[in-house]
Amino acid sequence: MRRTPRFNINGILVNAAALVLVLSYALPYVYLLMTSIKPAADVQQIPPSFLPAVVSLENFREVLQSSALPKAFASSLAVAVLTTVLSLAVAVPAAYVATQYRRKITTLFLLFALVTRMVPSVSLGMPLFQLLKSLGLLDTIPGLVLAHTSTAVPLALLLMSAFFEGVPKELEEAARMDGCTRFQAFRKIILPVMIGGIAVTALFTFITSWNEFLYALLLTSEATKTAPIVIAEYNSVYGLAWGAMTAAAVLYSLPVIVVTLALQKQIVGGLTFGAVKG
Amino acid sequence: MSAIELRNMNKVYGNSFHALQDLSFDIRDGEFMVFVGPSGCGKSTALRMIAGLESITSGELRIGGRLLNDVDPKDRDIAMVFQSYALYPHKTVRENIAFPLQMAGLPKTEIAKRVDEAARTLELTTLLDHRPAILSGGQRQRVAMGRAIVRKPAAFLMDEPLSNLDAKLRVQMRAEIASLQRKLIVTTIYVTHDQVEAMTMGDRVAVMKGGVLQQVDTPQNLYNRPDNVFVAAFIGSPSMNLYEAVLNGTTLTLGSNSFEIPDRVFEYRPSLNGVSNRQVIVGIRPEHMNDAAIRRSSAEFSAPVTLVEALGSESLVHLNIDAPWVDAGDPDAVADIGDEKAAIARFSPKSTVRAGDIARVAVDAEELHFFEPDTRTSIW
Repeated sequence: MRRTPRFNINGILVNAAALVLVLSYALPYVYLLMTSIKPAADVQQIPPSFLPAVVSLENFREVLQSSALPKAFASSLAVAVLTTVLSLAVAVPAAYVATQYRRKITTLFLLFALVTRMVPSVSLGMPLFQLLKSLGLLDTIPGLVLAHTSTAVPLALLLMSAFFEGVPKELEEAARMDGCTRFQAFRKIILPVMIGGIAVTALFTFITSWNEFLYALLLTSEATKTAPIVIAEYNSVYGLAWGAMTAAAVLYSLPVIVVTLALQKQIVGGLTFGAVKG
Repeated sequence: MSAIELRNMNKVYGNSFHALQDLSFDIRDGEFMVFVGPSGCGKSTALRMIAGLESITSGELRIGGRLLNDVDPKDRDIAMVFQSYALYPHKTVRENIAFPLQMAGLPKTEIAKRVDEAARTLELTTLLDHRPAILSGGQRQRVAMGRAIVRKPAAFLMDEPLSNLDAKLRVQMRAEIASLQRKLIVTTIYVTHDQVEAMTMGDRVAVMKGGVLQQVDTPQNLYNRPDNVFVAAFIGSPSMNLYEAVLNGTTLTLGSNSFEIPDRVFEYRPSLNGVSNRQVIVGIRPEHMNDAAIRRSSAEFSAPVTLVEALGSESLVHLNIDAPWVDAGDPDAVADIGDEKAAIARFSPKSTVRAGDIARVAVDAEELHFFEPDTRTSIW
């Protein structure tokens, strides 16, 4: 016998709330996208229109033909990739040891990592400036990578710790009984098992560095200026170049969107890792 | 040669918890030894110390005569099967079984040959290209076994490998593991809390409690000649019934009942000869109490029946014996339905006793066990 579908008020309310949430997040981005494809003359019209009267790519042509943006993109990419690699190289083994070989000191270590997240970035700006200046790393890619890594490592450490909590200790022990050293067990067994968690952490670390503005503003100038700074510079004493700025912002957001969509499966798998034991 | 020798092995943790105290005994080459005991008895700790996954605080561990106290697990030539199987989820069954051989640096052709051989032995051939996630519990257990046997190690260590399986599969797998061990003739240490597994699988069984070895012997000897009250109650299901009693000459007084002890008991327990009013702990196994209406005995007593569990092949009859009950000290002992102090008798299914009746119970008095009330050790 077929069951009559029941009117599910809870389901409707949850879906309606989700829709409102999605729209409130998506609306500014959609407006950014719409503005970027308006002809320069229409961008600042009063009253503003949401949809473009004519679709134009002139804003994109303008930003891509300027020398500043492609160079800033390259800087951003280099800094974000190197920050991600360096942060994971530090945080993944550290989180593994802190969770699998739990001692008082490892708990303190994780707590300390959490505390560093509570310090406002702006208060660390000047010490970092002085430090990099004394090392001769101001306005260099390695300098900004170190600055970004200092903020990304605690985040990566906390994320990876949460993922490693779900790894049974027997997995490493089995590998050691099967002929591995502790390091081999970590490299050959634990890391491949954690690939979903590592992908999620890598993505968050990449986005943190890719979007970072304050340290990039403080620690770089012409040589290694990153894209967020260049985008902000469209607002100058000569006026606000809305069209170019929105086009640059759209281009800058694309890599993150593409990577997130490409890694969607791993991200969802990674975020729910440990919730369901296989 | 891969005999395992344990000499005064101790494990003391950082918080001063003494998990294992002076564990000493030998496991012969090719022997199937079972460590059994309730939770927290130190059996898994002992196994992990032999594996090298826990450090040895003091004492000596030798395998094949080689001192292994400070040798890394990978260099001990031991294979281990874990309770959770610990299969590598990102590897196929074939890769899981081949992994220890790859780590040993064997040539690819030899690895393929040995993996196929192990897969045939364990009936895993059709599953070789599957990942562990899609396998059933029994199949995962076989893969874990495959990973252990493929190496041809000096010894197998198994840490409660059947505890995650359902009851039916457990019975099947325990027979398979026992027969596999006898076929391979590899020294094996098997840890379990299930005394039925211990009795059915082991050549010898080491009974442990609170980090202390209670007795090591063959299953039959543990059943027939337990060294103390704990072993007596732990081995056998349902447990041995233990009560305080008084022995005066040849008369045993159990609560308000008295019966005569046959001469044969005094022949193999000479310490009991000629005692007068001696306090003892008497142990009666359920199978040594019968319905007197069906099978008579010279030693009989009456007791109210509180519950009858008819199992088809037998009836477990719960009796209220009015003598002081003795706690064997098993922390895992499950309280019986109703009254944990009830004695359990294994009656013939033909018995017609019902709950509420006063049953006449015939005791097979030659099979009684006697223990010192103070030391709780057997009186011989």
